[in-house]
Amino acid sequence: MSNNYFNSLSLREQLEQLGKCRFMHLAEFTDGVAALKGKKMVVIGCGAQGLNQGLNLRDSGLDVSYTLRAEAIADKRQSWKNATENGFTVGTYEELIPTADVVLNLTPDKQHTAVVNAVMPLMKKGACLSYSHGFNIVEEGMKVRDDLTVIMVAPKCPGSEVRAEYVRGFGVPTLIAVHEDNDPNGEGLALAKAYAVGTGGHKAGVLMSSFIAEVKSDLMGEQTILCGMLQTGSLLCFDKMIEEGIDAGYASKLIQYGWETVTEALKYGGVTNMMDRLSNPAKIKAFDLAEEMKDIMRPLYNKHQDDIMTGKFSETMMADWANDDKELLGWRADTAESAYEKTAAADVEISEQEYFDNGILMVAMVKAGVELAFETMTSAGIIADSAYYESLHETPLIANTIARKKLYEMNSTISDTAEYGCYLYNHACVPLLGDFMKNIKSDVIGAGMQLNHTGVDNARLIEVNEAIRSHPVEAIGATLRGHMSDMKKIV
Amino acid sequence: MPLTASISLKNVTVEFDQGFICNKINWTIQPDQHWLVCGSNGSGKSALAAILTGAGDIESGVIRGLPRRIGVVSFEAQSELIEAERRKDDADIMDVIAEGTPVAEIISAVCKDQSLADELCQKFGLVPLLDRAFRKLSTGETRKVMLIRALTCNPQLLILDEPFEGLDVDSLSALQQHLAAVSESIPVVIVLNRLDQCPDFITHVAYVNDGELTHQVKRADTEAYQQLHQLLHLKTADLSIPPADPDTSIPALDPAQPLVRVTGAAIRYGDVVIFDQLDWTINAGQHWQLSGPNGSGKTALLSLITGDHPQCYVNDIFVFGFIRGSGESIWQIKQFIGYVSTALQWEYTVGTNLRNVIISGFYDSIGLYSKYTDHQRDIADQWLAVLGMESRADQPFTSQSYGDQRLLLIARAMVKHPPLLILDEPCLGLDDMNRQRVLALIELICQRSTTTVLYVNHHADDKISGIEHYLALENNHPV
Ligand SMILES: NC(=O)c1ccc[n+]([C@@H]2O[C@H](COP(=O)([O-])OP(=O)(O)OC[C@H]3O[C@@H](n4cnc5c(N)ncnc54)[C@H](OP(=O)(O)O)[C@@H]3O)[C@@H](O)[C@H]2O)c1
Ligand SMILES: [Mg+2]
Repeated sequence: MSNNYFNSLSLREQLEQLGKCRFMHLAEFTDGVAALKGKKMVVIGCGAQGLNQGLNLRDSGLDVSYTLRAEAIADKRQSWKNATENGFTVGTYEELIPTADVVLNLTPDKQHTAVVNAVMPLMKKGACLSYSHGFNIVEEGMKVRDDLTVIMVAPKCPGSEVRAEYVRGFGVPTLIAVHEDNDPNGEGLALAKAYAVGTGGHKAGVLMSSFIAEVKSDLMGEQTILCGMLQTGSLLCFDKMIEEGIDAGYASKLIQYGWETVTEALKYGGVTNMMDRLSNPAKIKAFDLAEEMKDIMRPLYNKHQDDIMTGKFSETMMADWANDDKELLGWRADTAESAYEKTAAADVEISEQEYFDNGILMVAMVKAGVELAFETMTSAGIIADSAYYESLHETPLIANTIARKKLYEMNSTISDTAEYGCYLYNHACVPLLGDFMKNIKSDVIGAGMQLNHTGVDNARLIEVNEAIRSHPVEAIGATLRGHMSDMKKIV
Repeated sequence: MPLTASISLKNVTVEFDQGFICNKINWTIQPDQHWLVCGSNGSGKSALAAILTGAGDIESGVIRGLPRRIGVVSFEAQSELIEAERRKDDADIMDVIAEGTPVAEIISAVCKDQSLADELCQKFGLVPLLDRAFRKLSTGETRKVMLIRALTCNPQLLILDEPFEGLDVDSLSALQQHLAAVSESIPVVIVLNRLDQCPDFITHVAYVNDGELTHQVKRADTEAYQQLHQLLHLKTADLSIPPADPDTSIPALDPAQPLVRVTGAAIRYGDVVIFDQLDWTINAGQHWQLSGPNGSGKTALLSLITGDHPQCYVNDIFVFGFIRGSGESIWQIKQFIGYVSTALQWEYTVGTNLRNVIISGFYDSIGLYSKYTDHQRDIADQWLAVLGMESRADQPFTSQSYGDQRLLLIARAMVKHPPLLILDEPCLGLDDMNRQRVLALIELICQRSTTTVLYVNHHADDKISGIEHYLALENNHPV
């Protein structure tokens, strides 16, 4: 049975691990992929991350092949097709793992214990095992053979983005870490850096972190603002619009594309820029709504963070794993049955600005969620850089998936872990916002404020602007976006 | 008597002295219109205007409505008059030295408005020369005489071929003023090399290419006018390809090796074979055209070469000194290739400006993610000048017209002077004017650089001059 690694550490060690996070400079990557040149990289699993990371690594001149579980090869499953159609060698664990210098475990987190236990005995002495998420090490306490190096290279984006950005000549922000208990030859960092170069991540910015900081911040972000808040917001906003007599097709479209549109502004200029897209009266309104929601939701964010820290969250989820995913599958079915999910977007024209003007509540929800998640993470000891990537930075990427195919697409793109956490959040948050929603009318969701004049009190506007701009997520955001645009000249 | 009916040319084909042909011209000039005729050198723009003066032999078609009195200025008319004067001299086999006809007489021979002639002579500074023999005048002076003859003959139509050429500033502004006034009552047709000299009264522009009247554009249609301007720029300006950047130079290739050698190549998706057993060698300096119907695998074949197709790793492909799959990175391959396609244009949606799009060609990236040098910036600006877009350097790429975007992407592909330039259906989705602009740029590249061009088109007959090797794909096989 699992054994929470984080909980086995002393408080001093826990804080030290949580606080590990350093933005690496491009100059630290001048060795390129040299540390991996000529080494055999074998990827386990060919799904969202496996396929796309592998394509990038191969295009960077590295030797990549795939190993899949025997059934996947025999049944020629999608993962087998992904690998073979792209011209990769595919083999069983027995065929490929013993030849590997680096084994990339890119199977679903839920399968990690079984997968690692199956491949570990086959691994060469002194080889490297790598992850893109630290759940197995941190939450399940996986013990890896002493002679093996264990690293993590975690792209902070869905797999499709990992590939698309590489092809453009860029990359996605990436978090790397070395599991200190498993770095027998002291080569973990060099390997992780070369791997990040191979996926193009170094061009977009690499955070040198720890397994623990990655897991505790990643879980928090995905459960709350990234997936949970967007799910809860979609359901609440849709139901409210129907109640207010807004056309259902319009409501469906406003939500499906609204998240993407408003968070696009977030991507370029943070919460400040997103709020600046609103008229002055709407901005003040959104600010007040966000403040109110932050007060209501703060205990929930704290609870999520606490449960993540203590291991209660992973215990609950692992119990569901043991119970054949009963909860997960039930919640997934409920989502598919929701009124929002079942109402097709109407074929109506909604201008970019209209998404803001008629989506004031959605803007307020994004603001409240981003700021709360950031505040909660940093007060739990997670460094601001990490907290930024796990909250504000990833929100537009998740919003894009909703634009593609609503909540269904979001939940199928994210990991099962994120999906489980998202439903947990949603179940608590919908009732929590019940009273708040009673006072909501179509002026803030669906129809816009319809003001004859847009005058506001200057003193109040200054106060609101000041409050938005001085939130700590804005300062770190400006710095990190600056690092990125040093390289990515967006005009 | 001013012109009241229109002048029309219907399907007119005219042959000129040196065998030059103006082919199937359809053109109508209304009495209240003023046309500018433009085109590159040798395009036939002067010939088109000359048809209106009765030059050449009409092979077929009908011309209607030409007025009797036409004021003509052109190099041809000018040299004819000079030649006539010279013959007169030669004919006078007397021992007195022939002086030739004085300027005043040359003018009055056709002049119907002496006071206008006096006024223009004044303005053009011809007064001191009135008694001088016409054949003793300089070229600029004879031109002025021609202008005065044309303007004072009480014309019903003016045809002026490069009337502004060689005029001093004062004469030029006098002429422009006068033309503006005259245009109130008679139609004017002006042949010009450059649109930036286009007088304000001009209402229409005719573009001539290779003896054909290919575009007729209303002045008021600013977008079409602008495009025509750029096309003319590409066709007429003495453009050279901006240099490569010495600091980002591409590694030298072994001249004994081909650029590309594909052996027994195949692309398969499951059981579907796109093509197989394909052999192809591209040597440096051999321009190729690749053609074949939709779905014949043209783009797939190209992407084996560029490294964009994952199956390049399971084929026998030699490119730029690398055997694919031997530890090279795709960026090592891409540095040798400039690439343009419709798909690239669709993918190029990142928010950046025109200059950065061109600079991104140095880095083979979509968007710009590297700190570029001042030198690279200069080169990008030179390319913008070649395209006639220098004033738009800081505008967003995505706000440009489709045709302009295509031209910019070709410049982006060429900016590093790649050994191989791949143009995958570069004219796809473009209207005729934009096609002409793109082809003009490609021809310029073929002439002025050492880049090997690989041009893809699904019509084998849509050819570019300078390309002499062909590969056609059909039914999954090269034919
Ligand atoms: N998705 C993201 O946005 C994201 C971002 C960063 C990091 N990550 C991390 O990346 C890792 C992979 O996630 P993913 O989203 O790429 O997963 P995924 O798309 O679900 O792909 C998982 C792959 O593993 C295979 N697989 C499933 N069960 C297996 C088992 N029991 N044994 C062996 N292979 C199995 C699957 O193939 P078959 O079922 O055909 O065998 C599939 O190819 C996770 O650690 C995740 O946390 C994901
Ligand atoms: Mg994440």
